[in-house]
Amino acid sequence: MTSTPDVPPAPPQSDPGAAEITTAFTVNGTPRTVGADTRVTLLDALRDRLGLTGTKKGCDQGACGACTVHVDGRRVLACLMLAAQCDGREVTTIEGLSREGRPHPMQDAFVRHDGFQCGYCTPGQIMSAVALLREGRAGTDEDIREFMSGNLCRCAAYPNVVAAIKDVAREGGDHAHL
Amino acid sequence: MSTAEDLPVLGAPVDRVDGPLKVTGQAPYPSDVDLPGQAHAALVQSTIAAGRITDLDTTEAEKAPGVLAVLTHHTVPRLPRGPMTSLGVSPPAPLQDDRIRHHGQHVALVVAESREQATAAARLVRVEYAPADPVLDFDDPRAVSVDDPWGLDSHRGDVDAGLASADVTVDAVYTTPDNTNNPLGLFSTLAAWEGERLTVYDATQWPAMVRETLAEVFGVPEVSVRVLSPFLGGGFGAGLRAWPHVILAVQAARDVGRPVKLVLTRPQMFTSVGHRPKGVQRVRLGATADATLVAIEHHSTSLLAVEDDDYEPFAAGSAVAYACPHVVTADRQVRANVPAPVSMRAPAHAQGNFALESAMDELACALDVDPLELRLRNHADVHPALGLPWSSNALRECYAVGAERFGWSRRPARPRSRRDGHWLVGQGMAGVSYPWYQAPSLARVTVTADGGATVASSGMDIGTGTYTVLTQLCAHLLGLPLEQVRSDLGDSDLPEAPQAGGSGLTSALGSAVADACERLLGALLELVRDDPESPLHGSDPEDVVAAGGGLRRRGDPGRGETYAAILARHGRPQLGADGASTPAQPTELGMALAGAFGAHFAEVRVDEDLGLVRVSRVTTVIDGGRILNEKTARSQVIGGVIGGIGMAVFEDTITDPTTGRIANATFGDYLVPVHADVPDLDVTFVGEPDRASALGVKGVGEVGLVGVAAAIANAVHHATGVRVRSLPITLDALL
Ligand code: FES
Ligand code: FES
Repeated sequence: MTSTPDVPPAPPQSDPGAAEITTAFTVNGTPRTVGADTRVTLLDALRDRLGLTGTKKGCDQGACGACTVHVDGRRVLACLMLAAQCDGREVTTIEGLSREGRPHPMQDAFVRHDGFQCGYCTPGQIMSAVALLREGRAGTDEDIREFMSGNLCRCAAYPNVVAAIKDVAREGGDHAHL
Repeated sequence: MSTAEDLPVLGAPVDRVDGPLKVTGQAPYPSDVDLPGQAHAALVQSTIAAGRITDLDTTEAEKAPGVLAVLTHHTVPRLPRGPMTSLGVSPPAPLQDDRIRHHGQHVALVVAESREQATAAARLVRVEYAPADPVLDFDDPRAVSVDDPWGLDSHRGDVDAGLASADVTVDAVYTTPDNTNNPLGLFSTLAAWEGERLTVYDATQWPAMVRETLAEVFGVPEVSVRVLSPFLGGGFGAGLRAWPHVILAVQAARDVGRPVKLVLTRPQMFTSVGHRPKGVQRVRLGATADATLVAIEHHSTSLLAVEDDDYEPFAAGSAVAYACPHVVTADRQVRANVPAPVSMRAPAHAQGNFALESAMDELACALDVDPLELRLRNHADVHPALGLPWSSNALRECYAVGAERFGWSRRPARPRSRRDGHWLVGQGMAGVSYPWYQAPSLARVTVTADGGATVASSGMDIGTGTYTVLTQLCAHLLGLPLEQVRSDLGDSDLPEAPQAGGSGLTSALGSAVADACERLLGALLELVRDDPESPLHGSDPEDVVAAGGGLRRRGDPGRGETYAAILARHGRPQLGADGASTPAQPTELGMALAGAFGAHFAEVRVDEDLGLVRVSRVTTVIDGGRILNEKTARSQVIGGVIGGIGMAVFEDTITDPTTGRIANATFGDYLVPVHADVPDLDVTFVGEPDRASALGVKGVGEVGLVGVAAAIANAVHHATGVRVRSLPITLDALL
C-alpha cells in the first residue's frame, strides 16, 4: 500500500507560493514593507517578519481567535488573511493599543479582573473586546458572550473577560482611545 | 527571630504580577522566541495506525527550495529512551525504526530555511507502508492489558459480604471518551547547540525533567543543557513529558548545525502531546435502608499506548471518598494503537469521580434520600483507609455553604418536576475529595543592592499564578513591597522545582521559598548582630522582624535598617540563600495528608424537544487550605469548572474505529466551551490552613474540574428523568 501523508496534495514545483511579493501597509501607525513568499499569512508576517509576536497562533485555521487583529479598524483573523491582501491597509495589533505609553483601558481592565491565566488567548481577546465596543455589541452580558465567542480561552477565564469588558463599557469605553 | 508574626497580607487578591506583560503581548511564550540563523522544521506523520514503513522516499523533499535536511529513521542515530519520571517511563525516542504504533506517529522531520518551505516540502515525503490491523479498543482480544499499573488497587473488608448485606444496591457502567488537552498555545521547541551546550525553549510544564531527559538522550552532562519555559500557553498536563517532537527538534539542530524551531499544528496537538484516555468503569454500591454505605466496588479499564505509561488510576479515589467498611477498587489499562495519553487536568479523578458521584446519585434515588444527605451521612470524618485524622478537611462546610448559596433546599425531590417553557430544569450536585500530592522542591531568594529581592526557581507558571503568589510570599516574609520583589521562573538553570502539575507546585515551591527567606534573614541577622555600626548590633534574634524593607526591632520600627543599607555597609552586591522543602510524611505526623475538597451544585436546562443541554448556573465551594491569592485561585477554580462543563457536554476526541485516525482534530470540530456556553459561576473558598503543609496551602489547580461532570449529569437526570452514563451528554442521549 502506498500512502501519502495526511496533508493536502503537494503543490507543483512551479508553485507560485515560492514567488516573492512586496506588501506595503501601516502597522500600528508605522508604514512597513514586507517582502515575502505569497503564501505568508498576515499572522506569520507580523510574527516572523516584523517581530510583533504579541499576536498569537492557536490554530492557524480560523477557529480560535488568538490571532485577532484590526485591519482598517475591523477585527479580522490574521491567520486567514494573506499578508499580500493587506497592501495599503492599516493594521493594529496588541502592541499598538497603548497610547503615549499608557495601556488601553481594556488592557488595564483585563489585569484588574484577571481576565486570563496563561495569557495566550489574551491579545486576541483584547483586540476582539476593543472592536466589540466599537461595534456597539457590549450592551448586555449576553451580547458580550455571543460576540466574543470566536475567541477561545482554554484556561477558561471567560467570566472574568466578560467582567473586564463590562467594566470598560460602563466607563463609556474611552472612545477617545479607540 | 521570626520571619513573620503571621501571614496577614497573604491571600490578598492582588493583580497578577505578570499581567501587564500578558495584556500587552510582551510575555515571551516559547513560540515567540527566535534565534539568529534559525531554521524551521515541519513534521510528517504516519497515515496508518499499525504496521511498518516499507519505503520512505525523501528525494523530492530534499530537492525542494530551502530544504536543509530530512530526518527519518534512516538518518537519526539510535537514541536511548529518556529517564523514568514520576509519571512513568519516558515516551519512546522518535524515528528509531520502521514500526508504526499509532496514526499520527512522527515518521519524518523536514528542516528548511523558512516555515513555509518546510511545510511545503513535508508534503513531498513519500511513505509506503505495510499496514497491520490496529488494536483500537478495549474489547479487541489481541489487546495486552496491565492490571493495577500504579499499585493503587485497594481492598478493605469484604465487598461481596457488604453488597449481600445491603438493602439497596446500584450496579452501573459509565463511559468517558478521549478528551484532548488542547492548550491554546501550539507547542513549540526551539533548540540551539553551541558545541556540546544545548539551549531549548520548550513548551513544558517541567523544565528540570526536560533537561534531564535531553541530557540523557543526547549523552551530554545535565549542566550543559538549559531548558526555558518562562511562559506557556496552557498545558493542562500536555507539558508534563519530553515528547518525541522535542527530541526531534534537538536532533535536527545538531544535524544542521543551526538553531531549529518546530511549532506543532493544531491537528498535531491531538496526536503528539497526549490526551485524557477513554475508559469504562463499573461501580457497585450497597447501602442499608438508613442510607449508610456498606460497599463500594469500582473497576476501571482505560486505554494506553502500545509502549508508554500514563498515570490514570480512575478508581483509586473511590477508596477514600467515603466512610465505608467494604471497598474494592481496581484499575486496568489496555494497550492499543493510539497516540500516547497523558495527564489531563485532574487525571484519573476527573473520570473516576464522574462514575462514583453519578452512582451516588443513583443510590440516593434508589434510597429515596436527598443526594446531599446521602453524602453527609457517609462523610469520611477520618481518612477511610488509614484511620487517621485529616490534616485539614472542610468538606462538610463545602456542602453546607454550597447548598445555602445555591438554594439546594428548594430543589424538588422528584425528577422532571420543574419546567420553564420548553426547558426542563434540573439540579444536581457532587462532592470531591482530591488527593494530596507534593514533590521535593528547591528555591533561592536573593536580596540585592537596590534593597529588593529576587525569587529564583526552575518551576514555572502555567497560568496558575505562580509568579504572583511567590512574589507575594517573598514580599511578605521579607517585609518588602510587592514592587520590590521579582520572581524568575521556568529556567532549568535555576534551583530545581517539580512540575507545574498535580496541584502540588504552590505548596512545594512556596515552602521552599519560605525556607529560603528564613535562611536569608538568618544570614542577614548574623551580619548586623556582630556589626557595631548597625542599629541592631547585639540584638536578640527574637527581637528582630523583617519589615519596612529591612530588619527592624520588634515594636520599635524606627530602630533598624534596610537590606540596601546592610549590603552597602558590608560591600556586598547581593546576599542569597537556598531553601528546600520535602513532602510531609503522614505516619510521622499522625495525620492523613489531605488534598483539596469541594462541592459543586449545578443547574441545567434541557430543551424538551431538541434534547439540547444548557448549563445555567454552577455553585462551587472549595477547601483549598490557605489561599495565597484569592483572585488567581478563584480563576483556577473557574477554569476548572468550565473544563468540567466541557468534559460533561462537549469534549469528545473521535477516533475512526477502523483506521485509528482522529476524525475531529481541529478547534472547529473538537468542541470546547466558548464564551456563550459559560453561565454565571459562583465560587467560594472555605476551610483552614492545612496542618501538614508549611504554608497551610493545598493546591486548587485541578479540584475545580472534578465533580462538575457528575453534578451536571445528575442535574440532567433531575431535569429529564434520563440517566446518562456516557460522556459527553449530547442531545441524542436525551431524545
Ligand atoms: S490562529 Fe487564527 S483563528 Fe486560531
Ligand atoms: S488565558 Fe490561557 S487560553 Fe485564555
